[in-house]
Amino acid sequence: MLLFRPATLADLMAVEQLANEAPVGMTSLPANREALQHRIKASQQSLAAQVRCYGEESYLFVLEDTRTGEIVGIAGVVAAAGMSEAFYSFRQETLIHASPALAVHNKIAVLSLCHDLTGHTLLTSFYLRPSYATLPLAHLLSRARFLFMANAPARFADSVVSEMLGVTRDDGSSPFWDAVGEPFFGIDYQQAEMICGVKGRKFIAELMPQHPVYVPLLSAEAQAVIGQVGAPSALPCHVLRAEGFELSPYIDIFDGGPTLLVRTDAIHTLQQQRLYPIELLSVLPADAKPYLLANVAVAEFRCVLAPAHLTADGIQISADTAQLLQRQAGDELRCIALESEVQ
Amino acid sequence: MLVRAVQAADLPALLALARCTGVGVTSLPANEARLAKRVAASLASMAADLAAHDSSFLFVLEDTSSGQVVGICGLEGAVGGHEPWYNYRVGLTVKASHELQIYRCLTTLCLTNDLTGASELCSLFLHPDWRKQRNGALLSKARFLFLAEFPHRFAPLVIAEMRGVSDEQGRSLFWESLGRHFFSMEFSEADYLTGVGDKSFIAELMPQHLVYTAFLSPAAQAVIGEVHQATRPARALLESEGFRYNGFVDIFDAGPTLACELQQIRAVRDSHVVMVTAAVTEQAITADAVLYLVSNRRLADVCYRF
Repeated sequence: MLLFRPATLADLMAVEQLANEAPVGMTSLPANREALQHRIKASQQSLAAQVRCYGEESYLFVLEDTRTGEIVGIAGVVAAAGMSEAFYSFRQETLIHASPALAVHNKIAVLSLCHDLTGHTLLTSFYLRPSYATLPLAHLLSRARFLFMANAPARFADSVVSEMLGVTRDDGSSPFWDAVGEPFFGIDYQQAEMICGVKGRKFIAELMPQHPVYVPLLSAEAQAVIGQVGAPSALPCHVLRAEGFELSPYIDIFDGGPTLLVRTDAIHTLQQQRLYPIELLSVLPADAKPYLLANVAVAEFRCVLAPAHLTADGIQISADTAQLLQRQAGDELRCIALESEVQ
Repeated sequence: MLVRAVQAADLPALLALARCTGVGVTSLPANEARLAKRVAASLASMAADLAAHDSSFLFVLEDTSSGQVVGICGLEGAVGGHEPWYNYRVGLTVKASHELQIYRCLTTLCLTNDLTGASELCSLFLHPDWRKQRNGALLSKARFLFLAEFPHRFAPLVIAEMRGVSDEQGRSLFWESLGRHFFSMEFSEADYLTGVGDKSFIAELMPQHLVYTAFLSPAAQAVIGEVHQATRPARALLESEGFRYNGFVDIFDAGPTLACELQQIRAVRDSHVVMVTAAVTEQAITADAVLYLVSNRRLADVCYRF
């Protein structure tokens, strides 16, 4: 079975391995041991902290294959973007340049550097090893975070954003970066991402164009990828769209990928999840269905995708499932059935 | 050859001249009504002491042997007094990070009206067949003696917009990379509209925010502040008089604006008034005589000769 739980320092090597596999552009997952160690420590401190007023806490989770102990996925949440360092986005705007006398009416798209997403809860670092990248497991890895948020709503903002990877070429270069970033810095996309991974995004962001960028001046290739989701983000994007996330006017300043945005209370999982007491069964009924099941905890949070059967008395699960969730009969679980189209 | 103030009867000759200027001389559009207005404005300016922003002077180069008008030049008392006068100011932004070892100088273009109120040398055009024997220099420099004579009619700063780089088809690489996106029309059309004085569309259509030239094509970046090949002699001539590129360029073709303080123009600073001591025939002037630019110091029937 696959277990979603907070990352610990014992996971460092495995997490580093995943970061190495992850596509360029997941700057929130730098393939740098020191940076990753810092991320894990920050997560553990955040989990242990008494949070009265949410802010720069960040949480990092891993997906563990309990048969082998292998770490096969990773996902994170930042309580509020832009607290420890400024969070930059490009906002897509439209200017109308019209001359009635000449019968010219032009809609000009511009990109304005902004900090608008500061304070929103930010989903980060989603990566699922390709051999495990099935739709149900993508739902587990992504949506377990929402069950975690349901356990501690005061730790999060009332809106959630997630940046999708933009479109890159086969050689890993980015048409958007080549048109917007390269002229400014004289360094290529991968160099830029490397700098960001190690030093943080603000170093580059602070050098980005402070004045609006006129989109018609960019190459046709760059214009075409603005707000487009790159292949590695297709799966997480699919999951979040099903959760109610919508395309926003904001795009990533590096690769032009879209930012998805949702009101926290409109997230499908948060709306539909319920608490039920555990009922242990050695043999589940034949009509048991896959459920996302999470314990009601913060520091010891755990979530699995397992067969379960809902009755008037509670949620029927196996002893193995209960053990993974570190819960016993009668304890409450946070539950949501996996939708039939996902199974 | 003689430079003199324009007369109403010169209109047909001017129209013929304007038709062979090619794209890029925005102050000399091949439009009869517009030219007639410019001639009338010049006559009015000569006849009365108008405010700088209301005055506009046109001069023609006449071949005295035939009476044919073969060149034209103009002076605007002050630009931007009635409708906005636009330039791009070419600026610099430095993006530097010691930590990332990044240091980039980025050229920027900012739409401004900074040159509003300056006097302008304009409408210079010499028929190709007469581009010889220093006729171009006479035509251009005659205006400086006019400035020297009547400085109170002009602003302390004098500017001249130089035609920017364009190809044989009249296409401006700068326009293709910038203006086209905002205008949805050809450079020649925009150029013509500016020449006929309908400038409100510039404010309506041009980018109001700072433009980073890094986003323009390399070819467009290369022509910012550069003059058309055919305009190089004119630029050299003005530079020899003390005019300099001051960081302002045309918003359509990025041709440079040259500027000089009126009192610092060589022909204004160094010209002086002398009495005519003798009138002799041209044949009688000795071989070691130096070429002089000479004016009669009159306003309406002003004339200049070497």
